[in-house]
Amino acid sequence: MRSIRIALLAIALLPAPVLAGANRDRGQDEVGPGPDEGPSYFGLVLDGAGKPVDDARVTATSRDGLAMVTRSNAAGAYNFPGFNRRINADEVKISCAKPGYRQLRVVRRPAPGGKPVRAVETECRLQKS
Amino acid sequence: MLRYGQALSAQKSIYSLPVALAAREGLFRREGIDLRVVIPVPGGADRMIHALHDDTVDVTHVAMPFLVRAALAGSDAVAIAAEFNDPIYSLVARPEIARIADLKGRIVGMADPGGSIAFSMRKLLALHGLRESDLRVRTIDGTPARLSCLRGGGCDAVPLGQPQDLLAQAEGYRLLGTSNQAVPEYLYTVTAARRSWAAANSELVVRYVRALAASFGMMREPSRRAAVVAAIVDITAVPAGIAERVLDLYAQPGRKALPSRGEIDPQGVAQVIAFMAEAGQIQPPLPAAERFVDLSYLARAGVR
Repeated sequence: MRSIRIALLAIALLPAPVLAGANRDRGQDEVGPGPDEGPSYFGLVLDGAGKPVDDARVTATSRDGLAMVTRSNAAGAYNFPGFNRRINADEVKISCAKPGYRQLRVVRRPAPGGKPVRAVETECRLQKS
Repeated sequence: MLRYGQALSAQKSIYSLPVALAAREGLFRREGIDLRVVIPVPGGADRMIHALHDDTVDVTHVAMPFLVRAALAGSDAVAIAAEFNDPIYSLVARPEIARIADLKGRIVGMADPGGSIAFSMRKLLALHGLRESDLRVRTIDGTPARLSCLRGGGCDAVPLGQPQDLLAQAEGYRLLGTSNQAVPEYLYTVTAARRSWAAANSELVVRYVRALAASFGMMREPSRRAAVVAAIVDITAVPAGIAERVLDLYAQPGRKALPSRGEIDPQGVAQVIAFMAEAGQIQPPLPAAERFVDLSYLARAGVR
């Protein structure tokens, strides 16, 4: 689990354009991440026993209702690019769902003190229902 | 609640204006719709129709070629309203380049070779006796990235959409021509829904279309101009003066970038199909435009 966390943190700290490439929009006149982009969001979806849950739907919702939706991978990992910088990262809620499961809890990991937040880590726990 | 899908790219581009304005000005609320914009991650136009099928969204913003491609692959998604017609792409060059013919041997930053931007630019070059092989082409996706290439000296000319084309001209770069000089009018972006979902939620779809139609009406209403300018500034992060010029450009006689009320012209869909065929993306016999649209919701919303 520690190695997954370290790998996730490394991904989260990649420069924004690298992440943008991974999530690249094609086919329309796309706009990459700009100086107005806030911190990205990443983390794990785990079951009650701490095992990764893959293909869970993970949603990041801002206070004004704008939402990003993705799915966890085989390691239970997910990541989102940042919302607009004007959106307060403290008010972005992460939730997760998967058929046959119910959400148990969501734990946001505190950011290192004294440094600007570039990525927000949140763990989402599901329990089989 | 109505979940409206939008690629992250579109959310920050001028092409989100119709829905963004309707949301800002309470036009969806007036129709009793709690509209939530949902951005699938990873994004991309190809993902938007997929998001309809995996229940991530109920309706979605999508560029017409991707809807056509998905429908030909078996999706029951159809366009229910137009969001943007006939986009204006400006070929903008370094100040010392006076004519399109002067681009021979120069570096031109071009969009995705399979897309409508590159297609229209190839047509524009041909009008001036140039083929793509006469240029040194760099493929650069996205108007902001192409503008950066032009500003940084890596490109001698690039196609740009609004508002960056106006921004570049204000900085002294030269407009050589526009896509509309070379290609006929076509349907660019639409709101799409699965036929099955729309049929089961037809009242909601009609109210959505009505709100969208009101948004287009607001864009043409002089007394609401400040609200529209504020929306463009908010979406694209340009100065208000540039946003004003975008609106002036769209209001020029003969320009049809903004639908009057979200109406879909099947001829514009047919033109998209023709572009795709000419680019080798689909093969004859070409499908009928009507296969990719459902005009019944527009009709029920009073839009003809």
